[in-house]
Amino acid sequence: MTVEGTARYEKIDFLGEGQFATVYKAKDVVTDNIVAVKKIKLGSRSEAADGINRTALREIKLLQELRHENIIGLLDVFGQKSNVSIVFDFMETDLEVVIRDTNIIMTAPHIKSYILQTLLGLEYLHVNWVLHRDMKPNNLLINEKGVLKIGDFGLARFYGSPSRPYSHQVVTRWYRCPELLFGARSYGDGVDIWAVGCIAAELLIRAPFLPGDTDLDQLNRIFQVLGTPTEADWPDMKCLPDYVTFKEFPRHPMKEIFTAASDDLLDVLDMTLAINPARRCSASQALQMSYFSSKPAPTPGSQLPFPKSNKIVDKEKEAKRLSLKRKQNGSDAGGMKKRLVF
Amino acid sequence: MAGNFWASSHYQQWVIDRQDLCRERQHDMKHLTEEEYQKVMILFANVIQALGEHLKFRQQVIATATVYFKRFYARNSLKCIDPWLMAPTCVFLASKVEEYGVLSNNRLITTCQNIVKNKFGHAFSGEYPYRIQHVMECEFYLLEMMDCCLIMYHPYRPLTKFCADIGSEMELLPVAWRMINDSLRTDIPLLYPPYLIALACLHLASIVKQKDIKTWCAELSVDNDKVMEITKTMVSLYEMWKIYDEKKEIQPILTKMPKPSPSRPPSETPTMQDANSQQQQQQQNQQLPSGGV
Repeated sequence: MTVEGTARYEKIDFLGEGQFATVYKAKDVVTDNIVAVKKIKLGSRSEAADGINRTALREIKLLQELRHENIIGLLDVFGQKSNVSIVFDFMETDLEVVIRDTNIIMTAPHIKSYILQTLLGLEYLHVNWVLHRDMKPNNLLINEKGVLKIGDFGLARFYGSPSRPYSHQVVTRWYRCPELLFGARSYGDGVDIWAVGCIAAELLIRAPFLPGDTDLDQLNRIFQVLGTPTEADWPDMKCLPDYVTFKEFPRHPMKEIFTAASDDLLDVLDMTLAINPARRCSASQALQMSYFSSKPAPTPGSQLPFPKSNKIVDKEKEAKRLSLKRKQNGSDAGGMKKRLVF
Repeated sequence: MAGNFWASSHYQQWVIDRQDLCRERQHDMKHLTEEEYQKVMILFANVIQALGEHLKFRQQVIATATVYFKRFYARNSLKCIDPWLMAPTCVFLASKVEEYGVLSNNRLITTCQNIVKNKFGHAFSGEYPYRIQHVMECEFYLLEMMDCCLIMYHPYRPLTKFCADIGSEMELLPVAWRMINDSLRTDIPLLYPPYLIALACLHLASIVKQKDIKTWCAELSVDNDKVMEITKTMVSLYEMWKIYDEKKEIQPILTKMPKPSPSRPPSETPTMQDANSQQQQQQQNQQLPSGGV
């Protein structure tokens, strides 16, 4: 009989704990490969009564269909009693750790490599009509060969066909685009592209680009930097469910914000961070931009810098993380506080 | 459902060869004739359809649930898990996969109880025995047996496109659509890719409606033999339906159907690994009355 389930994976180390799951590093005794085992939590009584966790089911159903160098690979799924565990490629670190590691010097070719790999994975997702809906550095996993893979498909879904309205409570706030913040219930690939713009900006400034404290503060920060959109910029804006009028901020040219960035990278930022989703570029369009064909070439994976430690020790950051997580929890429960109207 | 069908698990793993299907069914064929087996499958497709309609699901979700059911029994004997439990389980899993909001557990079981009592009294006597914890446990086996392949492509979408291309959305689409629903009562969804099923149903609909689509068909570059095979299977289904009275005939067939061992409570539904040991036990227990029927 073949070795299966729990017996097949020998626990090596505890890697982390999220809202829905605990992740372990383990050895696959059949192949001798190192893998990541994500054990889905049973959660509260009400969740347990829902059978196989919906988040886990989304990851399983989508990753079973997707195969790409820059998408996390689903290796196995096994169950024990009523617990599901999902086995993934083991990934050494993630882009958030790389960005926060002050020992790492981030050069222009490094940045190009990260953005390129992210967009290649995302283009594949969008070509297959899948929205990720939670793009952020923490979900861009990196293995020991320097290959970046998009992970965590717990919020992902198919898009493009008329169906029930989507939730606008998706994407971690700092990476959430204006249409989601205005409560759009039908949207497209632009929500992932906006997040890529925020990630690219974060690679340049080595800190979150738009760290809003609330949804309104998030919009405020976006408009303070990129300018409040006018009727002409985004005619449909006023039709969105949660639209509120903002103070009119002038637009800051990207060049003034990102003084170290090359002009072709600034073009990418302009296109990915277009406030009107209809004017935002697609992943394929972004990849066609001159930034990716001009010098310097992106750093090959094997030469990308590697953080010394995967453990995030910065306490302040950890506190922020927790508070962010709490906010996410709150919004997931659907218990959004009533919005203030200016 | 979007995505790339040719790279999908549906196309690569779940378009099954007829011979393979027959081989997997060998065990059940010791107890049932091919036609009787088909009648069992029709019954449970009807159960799933009724459940889905009562729960106000879209046809897409119902179709997915029905094919899940077929996939499970394409690899397992009917005695591995009681189909009366598997049917609501397929509905439960499909509603989650197709992102159909939240289905309350009470509603699923209550609907099941009502349907079994009011619509399938001819096939099931007594109280519906299963509870939500049985469904949740069964969900696990279902997921495992399908190798976690959850995304399903149905013929409805290609059909809609074909009809738009022909310009016959009013005339042919509704007829062919219902034929696709009927195809869920056969092995067709396991044996052929959805676009061929859509073509076969469109072909049949054009005959029923006496609408000539030969010129349109002539430009297609598809495996016409396969389309004809599907058409024939559909025709024989309709032939059978003409003379088949489920209310009268299903009871004796269900009595013959191999069943899970009644000595085990449903919460201990065996995994497939011990199906062999179960088989022996089953043979010993065959004389005993079992689960509900």
